[in-house]
Amino acid sequence: MASRMAAISRASRIKTKLETALQAAVLEVEDVSHQHAGHAAVREMEGGAQETHFNVRIVSAKFHGQNLVKRHRMVYELLSDELNSGLHALSITAKTPSEAAVDTQP
Amino acid sequence: MAALNLSSPTHTPSSLRVLSNFSHSRNAPALSFYSLPNPVVHFRSTSLNHRSPAKHRRFGLVVSALKKLSETESVTVSSDSDGKFPSDAGVYAIYDSSGDLQFVGITRNLASSVIAHKNSLPELCCSVKVAVVEDPDKTALTEAWKTWLQEHISATGKVPPGNESGNSTWVKRAPRKKSDLRLTPGRHVQLTVPLDDLIDRLVKENKVVAFIKGSRSAPMCGFSQRVVSILETQGVDYESVDVLDEEYNNGLRETLKRYSNWPTFPQIFVNGELVGGCDILTSMYEKGELADLFK
Repeated sequence: MASRMAAISRASRIKTKLETALQAAVLEVEDVSHQHAGHAAVREMEGGAQETHFNVRIVSAKFHGQNLVKRHRMVYELLSDELNSGLHALSITAKTPSEAAVDTQP
Repeated sequence: MAALNLSSPTHTPSSLRVLSNFSHSRNAPALSFYSLPNPVVHFRSTSLNHRSPAKHRRFGLVVSALKKLSETESVTVSSDSDGKFPSDAGVYAIYDSSGDLQFVGITRNLASSVIAHKNSLPELCCSVKVAVVEDPDKTALTEAWKTWLQEHISATGKVPPGNESGNSTWVKRAPRKKSDLRLTPGRHVQLTVPLDDLIDRLVKENKVVAFIKGSRSAPMCGFSQRVVSILETQGVDYESVDVLDEEYNNGLRETLKRYSNWPTFPQIFVNGELVGGCDILTSMYEKGELADLFK
């Protein structure tokens, strides 16, 4: 299991998991672990700061009617394996298609 | 995610030195410009600060970039001026309802100082002019303050009442920074109540609780730092708990994750309910929703 997990990047696993479950219209996963390389909690980890911090931007109709806490929980629950295996922090933007449309208007 | 800086909380000695140098060299009465405690943390966050001008480093030319007081736009201050003022360091001028200049001050965080003045002196603080100071070291800030004050004095022949020697209207003694709460008496003391119950009681008995990494005066992670800074800018009375404190909050991280069904830190609770982490608090701050939340 561990070796298979290591073969595929965490970013692509995150992407696959969210894509499948949320049928996201927009899904961007950005690995920003390098920005946190000096982070106390990361320094203590074996192998240093790798695949620990991600920015995730999701637009999905499944967020409709859910408040922000519920949306973030949905994402966290889908990624619980990752959180238990070294994923340290996610910065999440979770919008419905109609909210995302409002944002892009001038 | 913005780059976050910690600024030293111990400004007092150097600010006093600058003040006395200025008084001597100008042969003027001591004028006060530090009205409020400097917020311990400040950050340049593009996401929190839409009005911040592009940061250009102009070595040696810092103050020449400062707009004249008379040419700076005046902005009305209301009790919920969320996001209206930049969180940068700079100089500000406060006007009363008749448009008379009351006080010129400098700060490490314009937004938090303006809102704190509005909260403590709503009648005297009706509109403000603010200017961000680039490369805001002590000298640059003091220069900016001198420039605005001198401009006003040469235009009106008067020192703003709040800056007169001995006037302490705008000068508030730094409220003692609260200390972080501890959940247990120490790791070697056997708990008689489960940690879950201690958390439950804590978040229900306090209006706003932030579980952060590090202490409120020196957060250890950028997200926690941003949360502290937003809460301070908002002027809300909140409790903080350091989840990294292994001595007094031993086991808190794992227990809290289960309690709140939330796997990361920081976590912010209001009235016993989880509001979310840094992203959600930031988003609510930017939409101006926090004043309602903290009512």
